[in-house]
Amino acid sequence: MKTLYILTALGVIAMLAELFRFKKFLLPIVLIGLMGAIASSVRDWNTNIHYYNYMMTFDNYAILFTIVLCVTAFLWFMMSKDFFGSESSKTDHYALVLFALCGAMLMVSYSNMVMLFLGIEILSIPMYVLAGSNKDSLASNEASLKYFLMGAFATGFLLFGITMIYGATGTFDLRSIGITLKSPELIQVWRGAGGTTLLYSGILMMLIGLCFKISAVPFHFWAPDVYTGAPTPVTAFMATIVKTAAFAAFLRLFITCFSGLGNVWMNTIWVLAGLTILLGNITAVYQTSVKRMLAYSSISHAGYMLLAILAMNNHSVGSVLFYAAAYSVATIGAFTVLSIIEKNFELASVDSFSGLAKKNPLLAFAMTISMLSLAGIPPLAGFFGKYYIFTSALQSGYVWLVLIAVLGSLIGVYYYFRMIIKMFSSGTGEVTNIEISTLQKIVLVITILLSILLGIFPDMVISLL
Amino acid sequence: MNSIFTLIPLFPLLGFLVIGLFGKKISKGLVGIIGCGTVFVSLVLSVYAFSGLIGGGEKSGNSITIHLFDWITAGNFSAPFNFLIDPLSCWFLLIITGIGFLIHVYSVGYMHDDPAFDRFFAYLNLFIFFMLLLVLGDSYLTMFVGWEGVGLCSYLLIGFWFKNNDYNKAANKAFIMNRIGDLGFLLGIILIYVTFGSIRYKEVFDVASSFPSSKPVIIAITLLLFVGATGKSAQIPLYTWLPDAMAGPTPVSALIHAATMVTAGIYMIARSNILYTLAPISMDIVAGVGLFTAIFAATIGLFQNDIKKVLAYSTVSQLGYMFLGLGVGAYTGAVFHVTTHAFFKALLFLGAGSVIHAMSGEQDIRKMGGLKKYLPKTYLTFFIATIAISGIPPFAGFFSKDEILGHAYTYNNFFWLMGVLGSVITAFYMFRLFFLTFFGKFRGTEKQEHHLHESPSTMTIPLIILAVLSVVGGFIGIPEVFGGTHWLHEFLSPVFSASDLKTLPKEMSHSKEITLMVVAVLAVCTSIYSAWFYYLKKENIPVADGVAINPVQKTIYHKYYADEFYEAVFTKPLNWLSEKFHKIIELKAIDRAVNFVGESVTWMSGQARLLQTGHIGFYIFAMVVSIILILFFKLL
Repeated sequence: MKTLYILTALGVIAMLAELFRFKKFLLPIVLIGLMGAIASSVRDWNTNIHYYNYMMTFDNYAILFTIVLCVTAFLWFMMSKDFFGSESSKTDHYALVLFALCGAMLMVSYSNMVMLFLGIEILSIPMYVLAGSNKDSLASNEASLKYFLMGAFATGFLLFGITMIYGATGTFDLRSIGITLKSPELIQVWRGAGGTTLLYSGILMMLIGLCFKISAVPFHFWAPDVYTGAPTPVTAFMATIVKTAAFAAFLRLFITCFSGLGNVWMNTIWVLAGLTILLGNITAVYQTSVKRMLAYSSISHAGYMLLAILAMNNHSVGSVLFYAAAYSVATIGAFTVLSIIEKNFELASVDSFSGLAKKNPLLAFAMTISMLSLAGIPPLAGFFGKYYIFTSALQSGYVWLVLIAVLGSLIGVYYYFRMIIKMFSSGTGEVTNIEISTLQKIVLVITILLSILLGIFPDMVISLL
Repeated sequence: MNSIFTLIPLFPLLGFLVIGLFGKKISKGLVGIIGCGTVFVSLVLSVYAFSGLIGGGEKSGNSITIHLFDWITAGNFSAPFNFLIDPLSCWFLLIITGIGFLIHVYSVGYMHDDPAFDRFFAYLNLFIFFMLLLVLGDSYLTMFVGWEGVGLCSYLLIGFWFKNNDYNKAANKAFIMNRIGDLGFLLGIILIYVTFGSIRYKEVFDVASSFPSSKPVIIAITLLLFVGATGKSAQIPLYTWLPDAMAGPTPVSALIHAATMVTAGIYMIARSNILYTLAPISMDIVAGVGLFTAIFAATIGLFQNDIKKVLAYSTVSQLGYMFLGLGVGAYTGAVFHVTTHAFFKALLFLGAGSVIHAMSGEQDIRKMGGLKKYLPKTYLTFFIATIAISGIPPFAGFFSKDEILGHAYTYNNFFWLMGVLGSVITAFYMFRLFFLTFFGKFRGTEKQEHHLHESPSTMTIPLIILAVLSVVGGFIGIPEVFGGTHWLHEFLSPVFSASDLKTLPKEMSHSKEITLMVVAVLAVCTSIYSAWFYYLKKENIPVADGVAINPVQKTIYHKYYADEFYEAVFTKPLNWLSEKFHKIIELKAIDRAVNFVGESVTWMSGQARLLQTGHIGFYIFAMVVSIILILFFKLL
């Protein structure tokens, strides 16, 4: 819980920075604050404390996802120094990002539907603004508006779902809902014949709302356009932190409340996961813009993670956590390289990476490791992420879906390796001046190390849950 | 304290790493010192290990197992990485590091002007490392690692002068021939694991000792292992690579292709003696193949004119004797012959190297002659080695060969007779080589004659040491008939005693033993006399290429057309098949299928991306349709 206080305080400090003129020190303050947040989370390990009448629960699940979020945010702040540097409204951005992070934290630790809704909104509203933070760019503005319109639409469904479930069960509290739904026939007794319909529609509506947040097909349409239009660091934030938080929320809701009603939602997720994996991977093949390619790749990864939710067994949580960590690390690495290359190209295409290995081996190596990890090549982290998710899905008997997922990863290899081949083939000398700040170098080295270490010692993370 | 022996293979590995990584930056002198020094440290440690084994006292169980780490653990399968120092492996340690050190020193002189001096020493040290690993491992898997490693080094060193394409072909040939044998070895190891549930010698042999004789699975294992041995130790049918392997620098021929690596097959079978003793049929096959190879290769040696080729065929032939020894149950005799052969064959090769060095690279003995006065040290040492290989008492080769032949006699009289025939041929071609090289008139060009000189002392000192060993080396195994105790037999008895009990020859009377020896020695002396008469007295010189010779001679001169035979029977049909596979299966089936998949995914991608129209209206419409579908299917 202290973690949340620290993050909120950081956000407030960021807003004061302009006023009291310590903008220069803001980044160090934020980084130190994040370290403190991580430390305070670690201290809460195994305490399982509830806050505000079971509004929030800081169990180990919440703590682990909080740590993944904070570490990702730490790396993100280091990579995005330029993003803040070039803007006049620097402190506003800091505050927005930190508040979004608070929202993400609520999403991993809620134990009440209201807190879930609040968390999603606290996360989303700053994201709508940040997507449009490049005010001079038409694409950025467009992205912001699209994101907002469609996000509002989806949130409507989520809220509608929450109310329906309240109508059926009479409570917002996750545990109470879970207990009630253990014997769904009670609902019929309380609410009459329409009660179950109310409940089932509620579950499906919430599912739709959450699928929008994780950009699962067919609720993914916003993602490619918004990812492409938003400033690259913001895209990185959406692809990592927003996605991790949304999955944590999704998984927590369905494990605590709806795990007994699999017949209502499992077929739907089966179809959505299959569609997401196939469409995400297949469409990525055609993309020439690296950012857009990464957007589709991010969609397909959401599809893989849906498999773990579908599996609903005791490996689900561990595999989603590991996958989210592996995916976030690799994605941060890829976006860091991309943002450096983008100084030369407005919209970096795959071709603009040609010959990078000769000009800047570190960039090329970091990108290669990220791509390999995303493609799921052993012994990198991404491989074990996929391995755990596929095994847990197989244990629950989803053979065909795992086959689709493997097929999807095969297609994925094509576009990830196209990047690698480009970087290592002889270039036309397009990239000229590459400036990498020390912070960015540190980020690259950390992402390389983490991708390799998580791959070599995957048990370290998995055994925590 | 025992863990110090871990350093035995580590030092050459260290040498390889240092020279391999920094060889270009440090001087040649330092490269030589590191190269020789690391092997010398291994030699000292090996001698230390050896002294420990002698001083150990108890006859059985005086072996050391050093556990390094658990290499592979998967399910029921475990492969610890252990070193085993027992009399057999320790004896091979001494041979490898001892001869290896001498040849390293020799190479400093021999390779001095080569621009790739450092690369040569890096490879040589790597070879020593793998060879030590081969004999030190306490399981078949570790042996296999060393086995493959020495194969790699052999390949690298045969093709050391890789700018000559013929040398590359020779290297490839050696590698491919060895691969065929390795497959047999690997299958053998797998079958051992399936049968015994372990690949460690001790566990395998413990289980095996309770097996009945001639069990089919044991016969299969032993034959598969023997296939591996025929590849590495150049026996029929996989011997053809060894003569071609002479493309490598001469020290390599001496170290790898005469003294150490090619005896790995002997080591493997000697190590597995308990298994072989259980499979008499395999023993017969080993003996038969060995004997046949011994004679077959010796006859080819009769008509070769390249000094190194003669020695190569002689090596194949001598290895055949060792297999004969193994096959008739003379395990100690085989290891004994490995030892003496290492002395005199290394000496012969190094002597040949000295001659080639003096002749500015000329290897054809028809262009030599009369080198005695120019190369006195080489001449004398070469002479000693020639006597030793011919089996004249009391030189080293006599005792070891005699032991093998003695066992062969009790096993089967015919084997003995053929064995003696082989040594008669050996004596003839060796003295032919010796006389043509060192006696008579010089037949080379004037320029070569002007250049003739004795080699530097880094080369001659190893020659002298090896010559001494070739003279006295046999005394470690003096048979009872001469009042000796056969020290080597005693030393190795912990390894071989179990098998010896089963295969020990019927007692032979001393008088009969003496008679056999005398007959063999007289036959050899006659052979030497005829070589002297034909090549020295009559001054016959082998005819030049292209001159008509009689068909039998021609067939042998062309090595019985073995290479041509393999080419026609294996290479050509395989190439044909491979080409058909490429044209039909690969290009028409696999490629088309793969391309079709790729193209269809790209096409689908092109279609799917059109969904992303950019219009929010369409997006929301699509979402609403999806939501209606979901609700429709789930709620109704």
